[in-house]
Amino acid sequence: MPEMSVTQAPAPQKEGELVGRGRRDGNRLFKEWYAELDAAAESGDPSAYVFVMGSAAEVLKAFDLNLVFPEINSLQMAVRKVSLEYLNKAEDYGYSTDVCGYVKADVGMHLDGRKHPNGRIPKPSIVVATNMCNTYVKWVEIWQRMYGCKVFVLDIPGQRGIGWSTEPGSEQFENDRRYVQSQLEELIEACVAVTGKPFKIERLQENLAHVNRMAADWSAVLKLNQNIPAPFNAMADGLTYMGVLSAYRGTETGARYMAELREEMEHKVRLGLGTIAEERFRLHGVGPACYSYFRRFLELFQDWGAVYVNSEYLAYAGGGLDLGIQFDVERPLESLAEQLLITGRRSMSNMFFSQDQLADTVRDWKSDGIVYHSVKSCRTVSTGMADSREYLTRIKDVPALFVESDLVDPRLWSEAQFKNRIDAFFEALGARKAAALVAAKG
Amino acid sequence: MVVGIDVGATYTKAFALDEDKNVIGRSMVKTGFNLAGAAERGYAEVLTSAGLAEEEVDYVASTGYGRYVVPMRDLQITELTCHAKGAWHQFPQTRTVLDVGGQTVKAIKLDERGKVRSFRLNDKCAAGTGAFLEKTARYMGLDPAEIGSLAMVSKEPVTISSVCAVFAESEVINHLTSGTRPEDIMYGAVLSLAGRAHQLMKRVGMEPEFTFCGGMSRNEAFVKAIKHELKAPVNVPDGDMGHFNGALGAGLLALDRVRKLQAAGEWTNRSHRAVQGVSA
Repeated sequence: MPEMSVTQAPAPQKEGELVGRGRRDGNRLFKEWYAELDAAAESGDPSAYVFVMGSAAEVLKAFDLNLVFPEINSLQMAVRKVSLEYLNKAEDYGYSTDVCGYVKADVGMHLDGRKHPNGRIPKPSIVVATNMCNTYVKWVEIWQRMYGCKVFVLDIPGQRGIGWSTEPGSEQFENDRRYVQSQLEELIEACVAVTGKPFKIERLQENLAHVNRMAADWSAVLKLNQNIPAPFNAMADGLTYMGVLSAYRGTETGARYMAELREEMEHKVRLGLGTIAEERFRLHGVGPACYSYFRRFLELFQDWGAVYVNSEYLAYAGGGLDLGIQFDVERPLESLAEQLLITGRRSMSNMFFSQDQLADTVRDWKSDGIVYHSVKSCRTVSTGMADSREYLTRIKDVPALFVESDLVDPRLWSEAQFKNRIDAFFEALGARKAAALVAAKG
Repeated sequence: MVVGIDVGATYTKAFALDEDKNVIGRSMVKTGFNLAGAAERGYAEVLTSAGLAEEEVDYVASTGYGRYVVPMRDLQITELTCHAKGAWHQFPQTRTVLDVGGQTVKAIKLDERGKVRSFRLNDKCAAGTGAFLEKTARYMGLDPAEIGSLAMVSKEPVTISSVCAVFAESEVINHLTSGTRPEDIMYGAVLSLAGRAHQLMKRVGMEPEFTFCGGMSRNEAFVKAIKHELKAPVNVPDGDMGHFNGALGAGLLALDRVRKLQAAGEWTNRSHRAVQGVSA
């Protein structure tokens, strides 16, 4: 039998290969990314510690810095069921039980020689934070004390006034844009100093163009979940997609991944393929999942035939790309400053003004209700949830469930109480849907 | 005939109903650590009480925190839905239900059809539950059964400000060493509990009529405190019916399910035993 030529043209994508490709490729990319970090830990190549909100990846990747996302590292420790070991290390060191679980898991890992279950993590050469989360500003000081690394905090001015009042083009916005842009110029100088490499504006433009493609496709992917059944679960599958959004932001790989994900989702929509056999309930998530018991967290909803069709977390932890932002690559720094302002303000103002946007999202994604997951160790994410829930249930008549545990601290998970609330919520939701059906039939 | 079983933290209650919703049997046993065993004992006793053979039972619905381990169940339903159903049946103008049990306190807002519109539960804390009063009684060397009668003779209740059932011990000791009478401490604890329950009710947007059920509805001091707190009439089921309210609701929902299956032509008399959650 003749050997099959290795240069043979690839076979057309088979049905089974296309469905689930986003998860498979996402997981593969994630492993590769951690492998690169492990290699950087070995070689000592410069690395930047950044956050999922306002990572400035476009600038940092123009200097070939390896990007380390401490939030993702902590989340992964919980998914891999080892977060408690690291939390205990940090608490033994002196951190209070009330401190953010992400911070403590990260501190524990550093105290343990940066040995992460996914590989070794390199030391920070530079740290870039924003004021989008108040904890970021204190978190970076820990690494500064541990490693003496350069710390750069991008100050994003909040919006003035109530409601969603960011107004691009206004005089105030232009002043703020110049302020952020001047900080980006300082960041570039800092990167030059850390890496010893010159700044090439065409590299930045290239990265921005990749983000433009990624954002357009990601925005389209999210909208495809307005279909019934939804082609992906925003909490389960969404976690993989978010990882790629952060780690591969500003790269050709990331842009191509998102285009392929869009292709997969369009394919699923054409065939009417959902994520479970019967999609009985559609949910919108506010707050992250409990990653310490991630599978169980998802099962408690899936057992009722519920699918998360959207999640606020995909917007904020996905770096604000859900809006389909488009940079003007001819004005790279100005445009980057503008988008940092727009997406940054949205995340900062969300705890005060989320309710109307939530109501619109629930309507457009045809959700039956909202699930608020309050995070015990993160008041930044959880503040405002109770008020938002009151508004949506009382004023907008949107059914809502409020549960609380933690991102990464398994000690704060109480399954019996969690399950009781979830079951009761779906019983009430089922009765509501049945009554609506009867009313519709006249 | 149907049976509703409520496997609660402290007691397992069971009700047998005929097709006209008449109560034909009841049982109450201590839950203990073997939840399935308690359900089996409760089930056996309710059949005896009703004079029923097992093959005469058409459907069994379970509720309570042990609802998933009731071996003979056809259906499990949360106690929120069951208490709403039971309260609506006993007092058809109910709009807000308060259920205070051994480990949970629940406020449930009903819509005009008696369906659950919203609910709130105590979270990861027993300070607002019957267990809080039991601990307070034990700290003073009293039997929990004495709580109601003792608290009723209080003339000057003291403030029990602790937000924690465990830390309440030091507060109780402090009051005792200051010479406070046990009945004033006990009623102070009861008032503290009623205040918490009121807060929970406010958060569901409470509207009259109010119906109070659960094991604590049998405690005369607590009923008095709730009425004092709400400054409004409160429906309290007669005798032990408040304690059985969840089991009653489960039984009524079991009847609904039987009728639904019969209407759909799917009724095969206990051959349907696939366990599932309620959807209507």
